[in-house]
Amino acid sequence: MGPYHAIMVHFPVALWTVAAGIIIFRGVSEGPLARAFDRVLVSLLFIGAATGLIAYVLGQLVWSPDTLQATPLGRNHMMAATWSLFYWAAVLFLRWRTGERAWEGAINRLIMVVLGALGAGLLAITGTLGGHLHGAPAYLSEILRMLGLDVYQTYYVPNGVLAVLAIVIVAMPALAIAAARELAATPPHGEAGK
Amino acid sequence: MLRRRTAILVVTGLFFAALLLSLLTHSTGVVRNDPARNIWIPAELTMPLQLQVAFNDTQIYFRYRWPAREPHVLTDLLRYSDGKWQRQLRTPIGSDPEGIAEDRLAMMLDDGSVPEFQRYGGYITVGANMRDFTGSGADAAHRRKYLPATRKDPGDWYSIADAATLDAQRRAGYFLDLWHWRAHLSNPLGRSDDQHVAWYRLYDSGETLFFSNWDADKGQPRWMFDPEHGGVRALRWEDVPAARANAKEHYYLREDVAVPFDPDHEWREGDAIPGQVLREAGDSRAEIRVHGQGRWADGYWDVTLVRALDTGHPLEDKVLRDQGVYTVALSVHRDARASRWHYVSLPLQVGLAREADLVATRFTGNAPDWTTVETRDITLFYPGQVSWPHLTGARHAGSRYIAKGVPVKYRHKESQLARYGIEMEFDREIRRQWWLTLVAGVLLIVSFVFSVGRLCRLREG
Repeated sequence: MGPYHAIMVHFPVALWTVAAGIIIFRGVSEGPLARAFDRVLVSLLFIGAATGLIAYVLGQLVWSPDTLQATPLGRNHMMAATWSLFYWAAVLFLRWRTGERAWEGAINRLIMVVLGALGAGLLAITGTLGGHLHGAPAYLSEILRMLGLDVYQTYYVPNGVLAVLAIVIVAMPALAIAAARELAATPPHGEAGK
Repeated sequence: MLRRRTAILVVTGLFFAALLLSLLTHSTGVVRNDPARNIWIPAELTMPLQLQVAFNDTQIYFRYRWPAREPHVLTDLLRYSDGKWQRQLRTPIGSDPEGIAEDRLAMMLDDGSVPEFQRYGGYITVGANMRDFTGSGADAAHRRKYLPATRKDPGDWYSIADAATLDAQRRAGYFLDLWHWRAHLSNPLGRSDDQHVAWYRLYDSGETLFFSNWDADKGQPRWMFDPEHGGVRALRWEDVPAARANAKEHYYLREDVAVPFDPDHEWREGDAIPGQVLREAGDSRAEIRVHGQGRWADGYWDVTLVRALDTGHPLEDKVLRDQGVYTVALSVHRDARASRWHYVSLPLQVGLAREADLVATRFTGNAPDWTTVETRDITLFYPGQVSWPHLTGARHAGSRYIAKGVPVKYRHKESQLARYGIEMEFDREIRRQWWLTLVAGVLLIVSFVFSVGRLCRLREG
C-alpha cells in the first residue's frame, strides 16, 4: 500500500496547505480576493479531510500495526498524521460552525491566523516524517532537531505532563462555556437603563 | 465578569503552554537504568575512533585511536576477604562500580565470504535471546555470537547445523576473523587474542593467552606475584584504582614470572591477585601482535595491531591480498564495561591499495610512516538489544530492505541506530506512553478548537 499512500497524501497535503494559506491571507486581509478565497475554504477543508482520511487508512495498511508501531519513525509519523487529520477536521468544523464570524474582530482573525500557521507546521512535520519513512529524508528534520525534536526518537510525554494536559483539555472548554454563559447573562447595551 | 477577549487569550495561552510543556519534556520519564532487567544506558551514545591501515609485502597494520577518560586494565580479581579467598569475577551490568573490567577493542574482518556482513556488520552475529539481553535467563551465558547460516533456524540458537555442513561452510570461508585486543588479558604480552566467529565465537587453535588462576577445589589462587621479583605477593584492594590508572606493573600475572601460591603466607584482608594468568600463546592463536606498545595517554588509547597477510591458517584467519577489498566492523569496551555494553561500528570497507571506504597504504620496510597513511574517522554507537532475527523479522519495517540486500548505512546513521537500540530496550513502556500521548494530543486539539470556536461565535455587547 506504500505507493498508494504516497499518491493519496498529495491531496490532503495540497488542500490543507492551500487552506492554511487562505486562512492566513483572510486573517490579514478584508479585500475581495481574500473574501473570494474564503468562500471555497470550507469546501477545501472538507475535501482535504476526506482525502486525508483515505490517505491515513492507506498509511495504516503499509505495514502491520505491530511493525509500524515498533519503530520510532513509524510511531512519530502515525502520531503526526493522526494529529493532522484531527486538527484539520476540527478547523473545518470550526470554520463551518462559526461562519463569517470567524473573521470578525482582531482577536478572531488572530486566532484563525494562528490556527492556519499551526496546521501548516503540523503538516510539514507529518510530511517530513513520511519522507524519512519512505527513505527520502529532508533537511527539515535538522531544523526540527534544533528545536529539540529528534525524528528518530519516539515522541511521548511523561505521566505528570499527561496529567497537566488532561487538566488543560478540561479547562479550555470549561472556560469557553463559562464565558458564553456570562455573556448570555449580560443584558445588551442600553437595556439596563430602560 | 469573564470577558470573551480574556477567555480567548486564556484558552490560547493554555493551549500553547501545554504544547511547550510537551515539547520540553518529551521522550523523558521512561528510559532509566534497570539492573533487574539487564538494562543500563550509557550517558554517551556514540564515540569516535580513528583508524589507519597500512601493509607491506607480508604484514598488515591496523592502528586504532580512541578516547577513554581513564584506562581500565584490570579484570577478574581474586580477593582475600573475611578470612578466605573469593573470586570477584562478574559481568557488570553497565560500568563496574569498582572499575574492574578491562578496556577492549575488537575487529571482525571478512573477505566477502560472508556477504551479509558487508551490508550489516556485527548485527548478523547477534541471535535471539542472547546472553545479557533482557529476559534471556540465567542459562544464557553460552548464547554468544554465531553466523545465521550455521543454524537451521537463524532465530533459534540451538538449531545448529550438522557437523558436515559446518565443516563445508568453514572451507567455503563462511566465518569472520575476530581480532580481540584486551588491556589486561593480551596487551601485557604484546598480543591481541585471535578468534573467529562461525557457529560460535571460537578461539583460534593453539595455546590460550591466559588461563584461570582459581583453584576451585581448594578455594584459593594457583599463582601469585613473585616477592623476589617485585617485592609483593599480591595487590592491595585499596591500590586497585591506582594500579588501574598507572598500568605499569603488578596488575597482571605472567606464568613465567609468577610463583605457586603460598597458602601458608599470612594473607591480609584486602589482598588481591589477578584471576587469570597470562602466558605466551602459540600457533594460530598468537598470530596478531601489538606493534610497539598499546598505550593509554592523555585520554586516548593508541593501539596498533599487526598480522601476516596470510597466516597459513585459512580456516581461522582471513587471507588478505594486495588490491583486495575487505570488510571490518569494530567494537570498543571502555569505562569498565563488558559484555554487550560496548560501542560498535557499522561495516567499513578497507581496500588494500584499492578504492574503498578506507584505503590501506602500501609501504616498504618494517613499519609504516603513519603521517602518510589515510586516517578514517569512525563513529561507534551503543547498539542496545537488537538481534538479527528481529531485523529480518516482520516486526522490523526494514526487513524487506534487508531481504533485498540494501545495506544498513543506506537507511540508518549511527546516532539513529543508538536511539533505536535504546527504544528496543523499552519498547513496551514507550509504546504505552506514546499511545497515551497520541490520544492526549487528539483531545487537546479537539478541546482547543472547540473552545476557540465557541468563543469566536460569541458577540460581546
